[in-house]
Amino acid sequence: MLALLVAAAFGVLVYAVTTLDDATKRERHAKAVTAQTLQLEKLVLDLDTGLRGYVLTGKRDLLEPWTSARAALPAKRDAFLDLASTSPGERERARTLVDEIQQYVAGYAEPVVQITETNPAASRTDIVRLEGARELADIRAGFASFLDKENTLAAARTSAAQRRSELAIITAVSGLVASALLIIGFGLYLARSIARPVREVADGAARLAGGDLTTRLDPQPHGVGEVEELTDAFNQMAQRLEASRRELEDQNERLRESERAKSELVSVVAHELRTPLASVIGFTSVLLQRDVTADQRREYLGIIEAQARRLGALVNDFLDVQRLEEGKLSISKELVDMGSVVREQTDLFAGQSPKHLLDVSLPKTPLPVHGDSNRLAQVVANLLSNAIKYSPQGGVVHVEGRRKNGVIRVSVQDEGVGIPKELQREIFGKFVRGHATAAGIEGSGLGLAISRSLVEAHGGSIDFESNGRGSTFWFEIPTATNG
Amino acid sequence: MSAQPETAAKTVLICEDDANLRTLVRLALGDGYRYYEAPDGTSALELARRIHPNVIVLDLMLPGRSGLDILGELRADDSLAKTPVIVMSAWAHSDEAAVKAGADRFVPKPFDPDELRDAVLAVLEDDGQV
Repeated sequence: MLALLVAAAFGVLVYAVTTLDDATKRERHAKAVTAQTLQLEKLVLDLDTGLRGYVLTGKRDLLEPWTSARAALPAKRDAFLDLASTSPGERERARTLVDEIQQYVAGYAEPVVQITETNPAASRTDIVRLEGARELADIRAGFASFLDKENTLAAARTSAAQRRSELAIITAVSGLVASALLIIGFGLYLARSIARPVREVADGAARLAGGDLTTRLDPQPHGVGEVEELTDAFNQMAQRLEASRRELEDQNERLRESERAKSELVSVVAHELRTPLASVIGFTSVLLQRDVTADQRREYLGIIEAQARRLGALVNDFLDVQRLEEGKLSISKELVDMGSVVREQTDLFAGQSPKHLLDVSLPKTPLPVHGDSNRLAQVVANLLSNAIKYSPQGGVVHVEGRRKNGVIRVSVQDEGVGIPKELQREIFGKFVRGHATAAGIEGSGLGLAISRSLVEAHGGSIDFESNGRGSTFWFEIPTATNG
Repeated sequence: MSAQPETAAKTVLICEDDANLRTLVRLALGDGYRYYEAPDGTSALELARRIHPNVIVLDLMLPGRSGLDILGELRADDSLAKTPVIVMSAWAHSDEAAVKAGADRFVPKPFDPDELRDAVLAVLEDDGQV
């Protein structure tokens, strides 16, 4: 489009120059016509001068201008006719003029010359003279008129050519100015739609390379398609980079967190193992180094055995916690009757504490769940053991198993010391024992943590209630359908 | 066996939540002392203010208020600020914190009974009580 415009402007300019050139040519031609006319007129005057001299004097040598003019006339006349032929009107006027000259020469001058040769006196009559003067005057008037016409014509042509030329020049210059403006506009458009967006992409890439992954480019509503694609691609790339870095950071944070948890666990485990170990080593040393009575020996050996067993149980609990946290504890999924599990465990615990009465309430129908009977037994045993341990004064422990809204619910209620308010929030955490140690209640502080993990591994949930007198713990596992 | 002091028996306050270990401390130190026992920090502090023991054996991991907490209160109490305190703990790296909080000695758990006995004798000697 722009190229066409520039070409058109240049075309108009060339036209203007051509027109101007044409006008100059016309002017030159008009001048040539004028010169030719004047020469022709002079020739006619020469004719007249020679004729007049000869007629007045009768001297033949005075006829010389006539003779030479007469001889030159045809050539001059033809040249004149040839030149003055640019338009039909001009040709017509030239032809009329030439005809008048012809008329004068053939119809008047030549007869007068012949008359003078034969009868000089006759030719000097007033009639002859007046006739010649009249005809000549006519011719001269014809010349004047012709020249006048010619000048007017030439002037008109020149001014028309000049007007055209001026118009063309104005048009061309306007065209060129418009082209220049268009070129500038196009340049600005290029800068706006390509150069600037590309610069922004480059700057953005530099910021990205500098580590600022939040760098995003503004969309380019004025940008050309490719620039828009570039911007979009850049933003996608930056987004992906940022997302992957965030993912890495999150992963790193999780790793650090798990590392921290692990090292904390190791340190807690070490502490928990050292306490029973202190009893084992201490009492062993006392037995080895001091004199003790037989009763004392039995008592100390009893403590050593109990603490050694506690150590063993602790190690098992730690391993369970570890496997549960790593998701490595295998839970088999067979059909289990929760009622049988509860019955077996209550039978086991019933004989252990003479101070406690176990009140078991189970329906006659089975309580089917999918799960690992050993692990479910571990959970029930843990709740039963807690209920007995945390009600040192003894009392009734209510154990109930029943169906409830698609789940099997097992609850264990004691009449013991309850759980202090400040401990309730973290009771399922690891190594949470409250005042248990001070009260002489043994345990790893891992039982409930393990129980919760096991119940959750069975797709169930575990919770408790404790307000002042005793606690109730329960867990729910989805009922096995059509087992 | 070292000779027992002839003068009136020194008093030892044992602050430890594990009953077996309280027994063990008594066995380690022998019959020459009068023992008072507290299973948690709060009761230990009450007891210390009442009896002003000659030496305190303090566990760090206690239910409720921690051993370090109790140690800080003892040191802030004019009548108990100078009482020798031996800190026992199963926490491997708590010795620095214990000494910083004002403990005279640190005995890691598990401990050898003789080691604890020597530590108690040493702090009593430093205190000019022996």
